[in-house]
Amino acid sequence: MKMNFNKRDPVYTQVVRHFKERMATGMLEPGEEIPSRRELANQLKINPNTAQRAYKEMEEQGLIYTESNQPSKITTNEKILSSVREELITEAIDMFVSSIRSINVPLDEIIELITEKYEDESNE
Amino acid sequence: MNRYIKLVNFEISRFIKLYFVLIAITVISQVTGTIMISSQYVNSASEAIYQHGVSIEQFITERGLMSMFQVTASLWFLGPIALCIAALIFYTFFIWYRDWFAKNTFIYRLLMLPTARINIYLAKATSIFLLVLGLVALQLFLIPLLSTILKWIVPVDLRLDMSVTELIDSFFYLQIILPQSFVEFLIYYGIGFMVVFIVFTAILFERSFRLKGILLGGVYGILSIAIFTMPFFIFIDYLYPIELLAVETVLGLIVAAMSIWVSHYLLTKKVMV
Amino acid sequence: MIEIKEITKKFGRKKVLNGVSFTAEKGEITCIIGVNGVGKTTILNAIMNLTPVNSGQILINGEKIHKGSYENVTFIPDAMTMLPQMTISQAMEFMQDFYNTWNQKRASEILGFFKLKESDRISELSKGNKAKVNLLLGLAMDVDFILMDEPFSGIDIFSREQIAEVFTSHLIEDRGVIITTHEIGDIEHLIDKVVLLDQGVVLKEFNSEEMRETEGKSVVDVMREVFKA
Repeated sequence: MKMNFNKRDPVYTQVVRHFKERMATGMLEPGEEIPSRRELANQLKINPNTAQRAYKEMEEQGLIYTESNQPSKITTNEKILSSVREELITEAIDMFVSSIRSINVPLDEIIELITEKYEDESNE
Repeated sequence: MNRYIKLVNFEISRFIKLYFVLIAITVISQVTGTIMISSQYVNSASEAIYQHGVSIEQFITERGLMSMFQVTASLWFLGPIALCIAALIFYTFFIWYRDWFAKNTFIYRLLMLPTARINIYLAKATSIFLLVLGLVALQLFLIPLLSTILKWIVPVDLRLDMSVTELIDSFFYLQIILPQSFVEFLIYYGIGFMVVFIVFTAILFERSFRLKGILLGGVYGILSIAIFTMPFFIFIDYLYPIELLAVETVLGLIVAAMSIWVSHYLLTKKVMV
Repeated sequence: MIEIKEITKKFGRKKVLNGVSFTAEKGEITCIIGVNGVGKTTILNAIMNLTPVNSGQILINGEKIHKGSYENVTFIPDAMTMLPQMTISQAMEFMQDFYNTWNQKRASEILGFFKLKESDRISELSKGNKAKVNLLLGLAMDVDFILMDEPFSGIDIFSREQIAEVFTSHLIEDRGVIITTHEIGDIEHLIDKVVLLDQGVVLKEFNSEEMRETEGKSVVDVMREVFKA
């Protein structure tokens, strides 16, 4: 697991987001074991307390769960999994819309461009 | 094993190579000297007697009998002793400064040992003490050996055999290095080690206050010596020698104890890496 | 907890520490950052009683430092603390001889982690490897606190990476760490607490993650604000 952090957002929220992305794309499967906080800190080269905080946050959001004395696992709750996906999509679209709106492009043109771009990248 | 003993062991092991070199120089020089001086004497005797027809009695009257005295008065014998003394005096300072000024600053480690810091001081003092006594023991062992070598080389008619005691009595410097009585030993070496304590404390003054510390160390040294020699200026006319000895013993112990106490204070409160 | 309370230190007329106070908790990595000056090292030396302070107080778990504290706090200075003629294994023996909290098992593990050879003589090691030996001697003790003076300065990039890895590993466990540095660079995400020191004064003390969360500022952002002001 490798990731680049930006320096101004809290590291733990960046870690949570990173997990969400991987859950949404299926790289992390429901019920899959995740590394211990120590392992995660080591892999991401972040402070172990921050890794702990990220896991606590994910636990609170129901993204992961821990059965007694077992490694934590990705949730199998379908509802949460699909809401993660939705959340990421909504977030990305919000960002896209807000930045594209400032250029004042008609919706038709945008959709056309998006389709073109999407197909191009898929073919590569 | 307690940490003080470990430290003594460690300090000695740091000097051991140089120590063996000193021992080797002493043995080689003194043995070589004995052989050279004895052979020279025998050679000149045989030259005089066999080539110039001088009688043995006449030769002895002119040159005197060969004895250990000629050996011990020579540079061969005294040179290495002086070298050893100089080396140990130098090491009395170096045993501290090497920890600060070597490329790797070992003083950090010494001061961070989980033991009372005075143990560092005591271990260094003990090491000097043991190293000195070791050299004295070496000398005591070497003198009979040198006598034996002399006896092998010089025929009995030409030599004056001396016991170790006679030999030491015949020579002032040896009397100090190898005292004949236990009391004398305690006096000479007691004073010697008191001075080592004072020097150590002065060094710690310097290491604590740097430039200002040199001055403080100097004042401390003078004060200590003043306390110790005070009876010679004040009481000398009133005291019997044995009383003077008693007073000096007490003062010596006081000065040594004061050094240890002041050093303890400096090491725990003032010393700097 | 290590508590530094109002410590002041003068070298001659120069005040290098002028009423410095901060705390370092167990389980956290506290980083003293100063762009220049000698104050940072002096603080660590003062904690270990290697340099006496003129005033103020330092408490380790509520107590003033005493001989037993050295079994519980270990200091990794910028300079080698062992004799150059020693081999690494002799240096480790020395530590084992004198410290009850020396953990030989962990020492062997770190030796492997840093790829050091026990039979190597300290004087013959590269600068990076010397720093690693220094680190090894400190980290292999079962202590509550580890102090490190500029662990990243003057060594090659690969050694730096390896040393940085130590901070996220079990070698630090839940111990308290205080490190000094003059550049935050690659360790920004490794530390918990930041103490900004300049001209012998603590200008700001903050938790780096909290700073990102509440004010959206990186450590470098804060340094820029504080040091330039």
